[in-house]
Amino acid sequence: MGAAGSKLEKALGDQFPEGERYFGLENFGNTCYCNSVLQALYFCAPFREQLLEYYANSKNTGDAEENLLTCLADLFTQISSQKKKTGVIAPKRFVQRLKKQNELFRSYMHQDAHEFLNFLLNELVDILEKEAQAVKSEPETSSPPEKTANGPKHAQANGVSKEPLVTWVHKNFQGILTNETRCLQCETVTARDETFFDLSLDIEQNSSITSCLKNFSSTETLNAEDKFFCDKCCSLQEAQKRMKIKKPPHILVIHLKRFKYIEQLGRYKKLSYRVVFPLELKLSNTVEDADIEYSLFAVVVHVGSGPNHGHYVSLVKSHNHWLFFDDENVEMIDESAVQTFFGSTQEYSSNTDHGKHGAEVRLHLVRELFMILVSLVGCWGSRSKIANGVTGVRSSYFSDVHVCRMQVSILSHGILVGLAMISTRLPCES
Amino acid sequence: MINTSNGMISTSSTSANTQSPGLKTYFKTPEGRYKLHYEKTHPSGLLHYAHGKTATQVTLANLKDKPAPSTPTAQPSSFSASSGVRSAAARLLGTGNGGRALSFVGGNGGSKGISSTSSRIGSLGASSSSNSMINTNYDGKGSYLIFNVGDAIFISDLNSQDKDPIKSIHFSNSNPVCHAFDQDAKDGHDLLIGLSSGDVYSVSLRQQLQDVGKKLVGAQHYNKDGSSGLVITQVTKKVSEKCGILGDVSCCKFELKRRRCMSIAWVPGGDGAFGVAHADGNLYVYEKSKDGAGDSSFPVIKDQSQFSVSHARYSKSNPIARWHICQGSINGIAFSTDGTYLATVGRDGYLRVFDYSKEQLICGGKSYYGALLCCAWSMDVKYILTGGEDDLVQVWSMEDRKVVAWGEGHNSWVSGVAFDSYWSSPNSDGTGENVVYRFGSVGQDTQLLLWDLEMDEIVVPLRRCPPGGSPTFSTGSQSSHWDSVIPVGTLQPAPSMRDVPKLSPVVAHRVHTEPLSGVVFRQESVLTVCREGHIKIWMRPGTSESQSSNSETISSTSLREKPLLSSKTGSSAYKQ
Repeated sequence: MGAAGSKLEKALGDQFPEGERYFGLENFGNTCYCNSVLQALYFCAPFREQLLEYYANSKNTGDAEENLLTCLADLFTQISSQKKKTGVIAPKRFVQRLKKQNELFRSYMHQDAHEFLNFLLNELVDILEKEAQAVKSEPETSSPPEKTANGPKHAQANGVSKEPLVTWVHKNFQGILTNETRCLQCETVTARDETFFDLSLDIEQNSSITSCLKNFSSTETLNAEDKFFCDKCCSLQEAQKRMKIKKPPHILVIHLKRFKYIEQLGRYKKLSYRVVFPLELKLSNTVEDADIEYSLFAVVVHVGSGPNHGHYVSLVKSHNHWLFFDDENVEMIDESAVQTFFGSTQEYSSNTDHGKHGAEVRLHLVRELFMILVSLVGCWGSRSKIANGVTGVRSSYFSDVHVCRMQVSILSHGILVGLAMISTRLPCES
Repeated sequence: MINTSNGMISTSSTSANTQSPGLKTYFKTPEGRYKLHYEKTHPSGLLHYAHGKTATQVTLANLKDKPAPSTPTAQPSSFSASSGVRSAAARLLGTGNGGRALSFVGGNGGSKGISSTSSRIGSLGASSSSNSMINTNYDGKGSYLIFNVGDAIFISDLNSQDKDPIKSIHFSNSNPVCHAFDQDAKDGHDLLIGLSSGDVYSVSLRQQLQDVGKKLVGAQHYNKDGSSGLVITQVTKKVSEKCGILGDVSCCKFELKRRRCMSIAWVPGGDGAFGVAHADGNLYVYEKSKDGAGDSSFPVIKDQSQFSVSHARYSKSNPIARWHICQGSINGIAFSTDGTYLATVGRDGYLRVFDYSKEQLICGGKSYYGALLCCAWSMDVKYILTGGEDDLVQVWSMEDRKVVAWGEGHNSWVSGVAFDSYWSSPNSDGTGENVVYRFGSVGQDTQLLLWDLEMDEIVVPLRRCPPGGSPTFSTGSQSSHWDSVIPVGTLQPAPSMRDVPKLSPVVAHRVHTEPLSGVVFRQESVLTVCREGHIKIWMRPGTSESQSSNSETISSTSLREKPLLSSKTGSSAYKQ
């Protein structure tokens, strides 16, 4: 792929950003879910910087036991210290570690990028928390690693109420949602805070991310079998509930739920709906009128018609250029090409990927895709074509993706899900 | 798009059942029911998307020179009779209706019947209807829809119910993306077409209609191969040198994208001058009387972020001027009906208003977020509508030089906006100022929304200023005054959500199955168009009333249905 690399270098000419490296990632058999997310994270500037900084510091302290964090940091270091500006790298150690750590990712099956990102972030947080604990309270607290998955409030571990540790991963990605429930009887409002690393949004045909976010925060009435237990009334009452964003994260990750369980089919179906996303975004449903502007910087796109197979690619913005990452291949694209990943206004004849895959689908976890919106920019979407079978996936995708690359400006019919990362304009307090 | 052999079946019909169970063929408004009259589309299957997909835009053209008054073939009499009053060159579409002009300024057309014509400046519709001469077929006076799909321009006879266009013009190297019509053009070249390659043509519409071929005839060609785009910046030049001139494909690809035409408009009263906005943030001004071939060159733009205007060194060549407006694409332009102002909207999210003859920035402001996609003037030049990627319809006041209202109601990007100059408030009795403006917007959510802008209503003091507190300093309009005076020539930052009064739509109707790209108001109908090139024509309520001269079965049926609406016909009392 040296040729591809040099082509990219040519395309950028003297605009090739100083010190930046654009490397494709080798695919070890259905690891595109991983590659696409890694690229998005690598070009998430605050995340990369802090990871590398952390790594540099921890190296000095010696004893680096291998874990997902060190593998990731290794990989990023490896990329950023390449002599060449473009090329291909094999994220071998990272993938091996990932598979070792979580059996979910061990198979050669098609995996979900959203699940992967979520797992990765939580894993990093766990590792950082453990380290911090080890350092701080070397004596006591060999407390069981509080399964802090999304843990904001492991209020009092060991009796002592401890502030939850805020790691740099939290600082970048964590936001807080307030779940407000108003009892319709006594009017009491109960607010409960939850932390999140990403927002999973239901989507509708011909809508925008803005509209999906609005729906996410719209008021929902709890009644009938779904009543709310009001502490004040001490009984089940009808109530109104809504989710507001109390603290917007620096890097906003939005996941579009393009996979939906269709009861009649007994399986998940991919929704290729056209969902447009702007390159800048503000969250209007915040507790305070924050009017923080996010810019889209990465979109992870699922290409393919079904939840069980397909391909992931990512679009990443780096130094004002948009790049298209497809495993080993990296290409520059025009900003306007991002629009080709919005999705399709046409619905597939729903049963395209029926038959063979139907059975397999049921065995699997929900594969929802997501997008990451970092406050810089974010997008998602993709095109879909039918892959012929799990085994043939790679090659058939290949051709699909190829088409995709060649005609970026053509709205291909089917778009899938994606993940987009947006990071706040001037992220972090740095 | 997987489409169906059958030429007559529109894509929309094939996909109609995907989302929702069919679309309604009417929608109700306070003043009555708008009814789907007919549709226009293009034969599917003939299209070539070799140059990528482009959203369809529509231009309405009234040919009047050699009118065929009585009964041109295939034209329901209803239309031809009143065509003098009907809007002329309304430019619609995604990019705003720059072409639409009003003959009078002030008061948003309080009365329907009055010449709400949109001719440009002086010359008026009235004269047109008086001419008479019979012509055959396509050659006669009439109203046409000009729209682009794929690599072709289609022309439909608006007055026939035939779905299919009467003419198609194919472009082999590029896609047409924008067009504009000037019904008062002097030397016959009344139609402008801008291509995705950056090329621009001016032609005579009548000549195209008379010709039987599928190519453009008698065209004047400007900006050949997007030549003026090549001199844009040092940077791009360097890049092209570096990559071995034209050798590198990806390089050219980018170059091309930047040259793409985005929006085109005649300068009202500009004597054959027109502006073409490009994806590189430049607007070029041409004069059709000048040579198209001799290309002017312009100096390198020193600061991409600054507005600058350069004039051609030689007075005989085209383009005559380059306006560098912004970084990133200019998505839409619109001249005020009197030709005084030019409004532009772009990728950077800014609306900018220029004094056209002085070449000066007057005012402007940023969207809430994201790019702005379209803009349109009110007839009285007091307001500008914009629509964009924040799903908002924004109302900009020229008097206050700021946003005075946000319309919330679309579930996706707003791709077309227009004031309805033919509408008059049911409450207005001609006592004076007509304070209600009706406007429409269409979006990628497939919906048409109608709005009423009542200045009284949005005057509501904003939360930040104590009611009755600050004195009004702006004269005339009572609109809000939460800020200090805004100096001329400055751009406003994005307002905060809570600072801008919100409007809700009067009507929201899903009109197509595909995302929409434009809306046009005519005297007796409203046109909506979707990106895929399907156009729907909606008759206004009580059409027959307002134009008693054209009795028509259609309008009478719509009348009959009116009672379905609550008894208050036309809703005289709504919205107190």
